[in-house]
Order: sequence, then structure tokens, then C-alpha cells
Amino acid sequence: MKPYGESMRLEHRRGNLKLHVMSLKLEWTIEPRYWRNPLIAITGLLLLPFILYNRPDYLTLFITANIYACIAIPLAWQMTGTGRMNFGPQFFIGIGGYTAALLSIHWGWGPWQTLGAVILVSLGFAAILSPLTTVAKGLYFSLITLTLPLIFLELTFVYTEIFKGESGLAGIAPLVNFARMKINFLAAAYISLGIMLFYLLVIDKIFRSRFGLLAAAINDDEDVAQTCGLNINKYKMICFIVTSVMIALGGWFFAHQDGTFAGITYLPLPFMIKILLIVIIGGRGEIYGAIVGSYFVAVLEKVLMNFGAINYILFPLIMLILLFALREGLYGIYRKHKYKEYFPAMRVRKR
Amino acid sequence: MLLTIENAVKRFGGLIAVNNVSMTVEKGEIIGLIGPNGAGKTTLMNLISGFYQANSGKLTFNGVDITSFKQHEICKQGIARTFQIPRPFPDLTAIANVCVGVLCGKPRPHMSYHDSMLDASHYLEFVGLFGKRNILARDLSLYEMRALELARALATNPQLVLIDEVMAGLNPGEASSAVDLIQRMIEEYDVTVIWVEHVMKVIMAATSRVVVLHYGEKIASGPPFEVVNDPKIIEAYLGEKIA
Repeated sequence: MKPYGESMRLEHRRGNLKLHVMSLKLEWTIEPRYWRNPLIAITGLLLLPFILYNRPDYLTLFITANIYACIAIPLAWQMTGTGRMNFGPQFFIGIGGYTAALLSIHWGWGPWQTLGAVILVSLGFAAILSPLTTVAKGLYFSLITLTLPLIFLELTFVYTEIFKGESGLAGIAPLVNFARMKINFLAAAYISLGIMLFYLLVIDKIFRSRFGLLAAAINDDEDVAQTCGLNINKYKMICFIVTSVMIALGGWFFAHQDGTFAGITYLPLPFMIKILLIVIIGGRGEIYGAIVGSYFVAVLEKVLMNFGAINYILFPLIMLILLFALREGLYGIYRKHKYKEYFPAMRVRKR
Repeated sequence: MLLTIENAVKRFGGLIAVNNVSMTVEKGEIIGLIGPNGAGKTTLMNLISGFYQANSGKLTFNGVDITSFKQHEICKQGIARTFQIPRPFPDLTAIANVCVGVLCGKPRPHMSYHDSMLDASHYLEFVGLFGKRNILARDLSLYEMRALELARALATNPQLVLIDEVMAGLNPGEASSAVDLIQRMIEEYDVTVIWVEHVMKVIMAATSRVVVLHYGEKIASGPPFEVVNDPKIIEAYLGEKIA
């Protein structure tokens, strides 16, 4: 057996960080231009909860926006990595939320215990559904994923004794339990921000690595990617499973944060429209754009609430207008003018 | 023997696109695959590259039975191909296109993403596209797309390269540089080539052996000059009267 030092080695040379694992070599460039702008933005986000400390309503908005981003960021990777448009990411929100809620209510599990269970259960569901990415092409994949959450919603009504239908499950263990309500909100805000930043960091690294390039190749032309020697089925399935588990954690957070979980809030089409709007505003396959989109949608939701019942029409209407007016999203406009990378640009877009 | 095809048959419903074709390819050979339109040349290429699976017959590459292999497995065995209509990854830059070939082709140990960029730039330099490395593939000209496909095919580290009609749609200047490029590739990378082409002048000059397909069947095989003077071939191409 090889000594540890030979099979795995980390070195820092010429501004590059190199990691040798067996015969695989991973390399990252450490250079300010890569992390300066994100660092400024992250510092701003870290300070925001303190500024909003006395306004729990704004803090709730902040938390919601972060969790929307936690759905949109993995979705950006999923859509490029599988080359397909998933119209039902909220299915996994439902899986995560109900798993956490049921375990917490019936067995009295706390949030950190249900976390593991949510990961395992969503992993199972994602593994069962992952062959869809290889079997169903284009529109069919979108249609199947669109119906999945709706079927799940029906099931929550059919098996009312388990899922409690429209009223939803109540009495879920809270995420954090301090004496003061404001501290609870602050803690929840930082937890949501933490999850979001973790997703951002991980998927940003993935997009900048070989796996990001392969995702872009699959997004562009699956057949050709295969003739180049890429096992696309394996890649697409792994991508689908990992991102689905990531999305399911959004449901886990919603369940423990609100203390109640009802499928009717997350599973129907209006929630999907929100997610779609985030993706459209952010630009397809853009992770930083997904954050911009999430904050935009969360604020828009808040503003439109003042208009009463008409917001049900306004929301999709705004989405449709943006769909035609902003093909590359809000972030796409910025990126078009500012994009300059040390390494060749890898632009991930579907025509 | 590099590649052996034994009684390969490919049917599309009632149409037999490749009918009982057997051929062998020696290492270092340059084989011209010719035939009228619809003769089954591209289908045969697709069978070898795993794009289609043969209905019956056997394909062996380097002693390995690759008949039921998937495309990516065949690529890892050392067979690369180009397409008749260029199919680069349109939204990736030229260097990223080649990089996909470097990372996914034959396994190279200790190859990081950064190293693969360096390797890819070598192949781009070889086909003369290094200056355009940061241009999106869809913005390249037809000739450049073909060159890019060739670079991507070479990047997978192949032993056998299947070239599908490089000359189609190129002007005479581009066509001659394409032929030069392929010949340089054969010399420098020591690859075996199966070359589908309609331009006979190129086939006559470049190939060591010609295989003729007609209605999916192999009707002749041999040195180019013998084959073109065969009455059967002239009949297949020009009709009975002229033959």
C-alpha cells in the first residue's frame, strides 16, 4: 500500500492550489479577481441581518430570499448538467418538508436529527427518479417533472390522516429556540444565509472545474459529448441526484422555520412560477444571477401583496414580459459587459 | 489488425443501410470509403463509432469486441470521429471544445483542468486555431469548425480516426489546406484513418486502399487506381450505359 503522502497531496505553487488524489489532480487558481467582487457582496449580505435586526418582517423576507436562492442555485447546475428544464423542483421541497415534519411530529426529532433523514429520503427519491434524465428528452422531461409535484399534492389530500391535507402539519420542532424572538430570527437568517453561501461556494467551484465544462458540453450537445468519451448518463444522474438533495434541504428549512408545513403552499404551480421567474431573471445556468433573481422575486412578492387579489395576475404577467424582454436575465446584462476571465470564458447557455 | 468488421448488418425498418459488410483495417492504413449517395458510408461510420448498434455482425477493435459498446466506451478504446455537418459545442469557446476531448477521451492520469487547457491549446495550435481559442465555436467559419472537430477528435488520443467528408462546402483553398491538415495529422500522430469522401482526386492521392459501398454492400476493395478502373464501380457511379 502506498503511504498517505503519495496517494493524497496538497501543494501551493505559483498562485495555484493543487490537490493530488490517487491519479487525479485538481487545481485551483487563487487570484483576487476571482473572489474580490463576490467577497464584497458576501460581506454586504452578512451585515444585512444586523441592519434589519429590529424589523422581523424584513428579516423574514431576507430568509425567504435566501431559501429561494437555495432552490435556484442547484437548479442552475441541474439545468445545465442534465441539459433539461426541470419544471418541478418544488417536488423535492415537498419531500424534504414532509419528511422533516412527520419525523419531528411523530418521533419528536429535532432539526439536526431530521436533517440526516431528509438527506437520505430525498437521496432515495432522487435516485429513483434520476433515470428520467436519460430516458425522457426535452419537453417530455419538463412535462413529467411538472406533474410530479401536482401528483404529490393530490396524495397529500388523499392521505389526509398522514399529511393533514390543506391545513398541513403543525407542531414541528423549531430550527433554533432562544428566549428572545428577535434572536431566533437573526439565527434563522444566518442559517439560511449559511446554506445559501455554502451552495454558492460548492457549485461555483463545480462550474469552474472540469465538471462544469462537462455540464456545459452536455447542455450543448449530448451526442457529441458522448462521442468525445463522456459517459453522459452517469453524469446526468449524479447531477440530478445531488441537486435534488440540495433542493430538498430548502423544504427542511421551511418546515422547521415556520413550525408548520403544508404541501399546498409549495407544491402547486404558483410556487413553480416563482422559481421559474428567479431562473429567468437570473439567466439560465447562472448561479450569481439566481441570487439576484431570488432577492428580486422575494421583494416583488412583498410589493405585489399590497395590490390585493390582482397580484395573482400581475406575477405571471411580469414573468412573461421579462421572458421576452430579458433573454439572458438581469445578471446576463451585467455579465455581457463585464465578463473577462483569466481562463477562457465558458458560457453556458441554451439557444 | 486494428479493426475488423465481420458481416455487419444495419437495418432501418425495411431499409438495409449496411448489408453484410466485412472489412479489416491494418494499423497505419489510410482507407478511403467511397460510394454513391445513400450507399451506407456514414451508417458504417456510425456503426464503428457506436452511434448505432449493428443488428448483426461483429466489430473488433484491437482484439476487443466493441459490437455492443456505447459511444463513450468506444471513444475510450481509441476511436474518434468527425461529423459530416460540423457539430462543435456551439456555446463553448474553441479551447473549451477541445478541452472536453482531452478530459473525456483516453484516461490521462494526473491531468487537472488547468493541464487540460494547456493540452487543448497544443491541439488547437496544431490545427491553426490557437489565435481563435477564445471565440465561441458557433462564430467560427465552416473550415474552422472542421478543424476544431479534428482537434477535438485528436484530443481524445485516438488510434483510429473516422473522417466524414471534410471537403463538403469548402472552397478550393480551404479544401487543400484541410487535406494538408489531415496528412500532417497522420504523420505526426501516427493514426489510422477511415476517410469518407466524394472528391475522388483527394481519395486517389491520399489513401492506400479504397473500399466501395453500393446499396449497403461492399462491392470492391483495393488500391485506388485498380478500383476506379473496375467496370463494376463505374457502373455503380455512372450507370450501366456508360460502363
